[in-house]
Amino acid sequence: MDGLYIGSFAHALGARRRHLRESAAAGLLQSAPEDLEAAGFRWHHVCEPGGTAYELAHAAVAEIAAGGGLTDIDAIVYATCLPGETGAGPVRDVKDLMDFPAGRLQAEFGLSRAIVVGLHQQACTGAIGALRLAGALLTTEPAWRRVLCVTADRFPEGAWYEQAYNLISDGAAACVVGRDPDVCRLLTVHQITNGGLGRAGDDETVGTYFAYTHRLVREAAARAGLTPADLDWVVTQNTHEKAWQILARLLDVDHARIWAPTLADVGHVISADAFVNLSALLGSGQARPGQRIALPMAGFGLNWQCAVLEVAR
Amino acid sequence: MTTLITGADGYLGRRIAAALRGEDLVLAVRCADQAELDRKRARLADVADAPVVPVDLRDADPFAQVDPRRITRIVHAAAVIRFDVSRDTAERVNVAGTARVREFAHRCDRLDRLMLLSTLYSAGRRRGQVGETRHDDIGFVNHYEWSKWAAEECLLDRPELPVSVVRLPTLIAEDAAGDVAQYNAFHHTMRLYYSGLLTLLPGDPATPLSLASAAFTVDAVTALLAAPTGIYQVCPGPVTLGAAIDTAFAVFEQDPGFRRRMLPRPVPCDPASFRDLAQAAQRLRGGPLQPALASVTPFAEQLYLPKHFTTDRLRAAWPGYRTQDAAALVAAACTDLIERSFRVPTA
Repeated sequence: MDGLYIGSFAHALGARRRHLRESAAAGLLQSAPEDLEAAGFRWHHVCEPGGTAYELAHAAVAEIAAGGGLTDIDAIVYATCLPGETGAGPVRDVKDLMDFPAGRLQAEFGLSRAIVVGLHQQACTGAIGALRLAGALLTTEPAWRRVLCVTADRFPEGAWYEQAYNLISDGAAACVVGRDPDVCRLLTVHQITNGGLGRAGDDETVGTYFAYTHRLVREAAARAGLTPADLDWVVTQNTHEKAWQILARLLDVDHARIWAPTLADVGHVISADAFVNLSALLGSGQARPGQRIALPMAGFGLNWQCAVLEVAR
Repeated sequence: MTTLITGADGYLGRRIAAALRGEDLVLAVRCADQAELDRKRARLADVADAPVVPVDLRDADPFAQVDPRRITRIVHAAAVIRFDVSRDTAERVNVAGTARVREFAHRCDRLDRLMLLSTLYSAGRRRGQVGETRHDDIGFVNHYEWSKWAAEECLLDRPELPVSVVRLPTLIAEDAAGDVAQYNAFHHTMRLYYSGLLTLLPGDPATPLSLASAAFTVDAVTALLAAPTGIYQVCPGPVTLGAAIDTAFAVFEQDPGFRRRMLPRPVPCDPASFRDLAQAAQRLRGGPLQPALASVTPFAEQLYLPKHFTTDRLRAAWPGYRTQDAAALVAAACTDLIERSFRVPTA
């Protein structure tokens, strides 16, 4: 991925900020609230009734537009875990089952020359998959300049806001991958898929998390010519705080370099929380030019993906 | 010659009784009431034609129904054998219980042998070479280990008694064919790996494991009944933790269901990481991970404490001793676990 940059990071969260004990009282969690609190979770964000994932995506992209970051967009890669809800009752016209949020963004923001790509087989890792696709598209289309990457998910009303022992938020994140110098260089993206665990339960997901994430980070770092110990930051999803205490030891990475400051306030935003945490790191002023950042993500499917970035400015 | 076996209805006690079938035996079992005693008598009738007497080592006079004048040998097999046993229970059953056996032994005028079935892990936190000698207390990983060490000391402190302490390995199968009749930490751990519920490996892969079959162990115990008194370590030839895991996964990967799930081999982790995992798992609601890990965790720290058990006395006293292929036993046991326990039947 030589000569590719990433920037214009933006995100949007469900409008209603709710404490997990309130959600537990409403029957929206599976675990006891004290168990989720022991994992480090406190608050999460849910959409108001009638709110949609598209609205969250729109809000994130609007933030990029407001910053002047939507120029020269040649493609939109839109990742989601939940590509569409089917309505109740029989379907006569299958068009009713289709949804085109990337196309709607294209039209809404006047990105007339952009083509659209949808990505919905990578679960919570889809945002990283979008970066990889963006890099591949820019590599195969020499005339293209910039690809808008978007991820958005909103849980259906009444659904548990908990998956694999993680407290869930509705949310979206967006960024732009392009050829012009930007906040970070995109060094590589690595993915592992194990479809044999496609229907893994929560305990299997937790059980396999450590070996696969360990392998993921090592292999991703190696693709960038690094070892895990060379990484200056590991920006993670918001998951049980013990998980990365364990993984930091396994990877021989100083735990002080594990970055997930929004765990208590945001929870796990499907595919967006690593980008929420990345924005927090970049906004903190602690990331210096030349430093290397890993963004590992795990998702159902089962999928694991990790991007490696280098701070450019 | 009459042999009293305590814990005669336990996994090992029952097999020792069977091995001594034809000799004059008294089988001591713990039971809550007459009905349980009747059930145990019926089960043991298949093993040996011998009187079955109720003995609860927590009682003040547990051997009230046994005539000490006829007892010439005692095989003390009764114990709580759980790595997660509480200190109180371990003390009451394994330590104080052994003291009551000792008191009874003093009343047996014709006593030729008092054999305590102990564990190799009475060595506690030792590393390196472990001899067939008394151990000092240098700390223990769990209360079970401590209690077995304390039970050894309870008997070895009395030189006037004809004491043999037989330190046993971890039993993972009936015999070399690999049939598994009783689960312990080994089997629970294998189930976690086979199910994909655990991908961390607690321990140093180079740590030797002493794994054996019940047949090997019973042969050792019966041979040592005729050997000089003293301490023996029944170690059939170790396999390293790493080799045991590799062997288990080589077996698992022959299973189409396991192969389809493409489960990874576990990553060795440090003690703190495994403790963190076990602690976090305690708060995972109702799934299978928490109880399975709970059975493994109290023992896991031993896997960071490599020990090499000497067997010079054992081999000198037991002409039939043969080194066992522990890796082959692991393979056979894992094959049996898949066939009879782990595999989910398909429609």
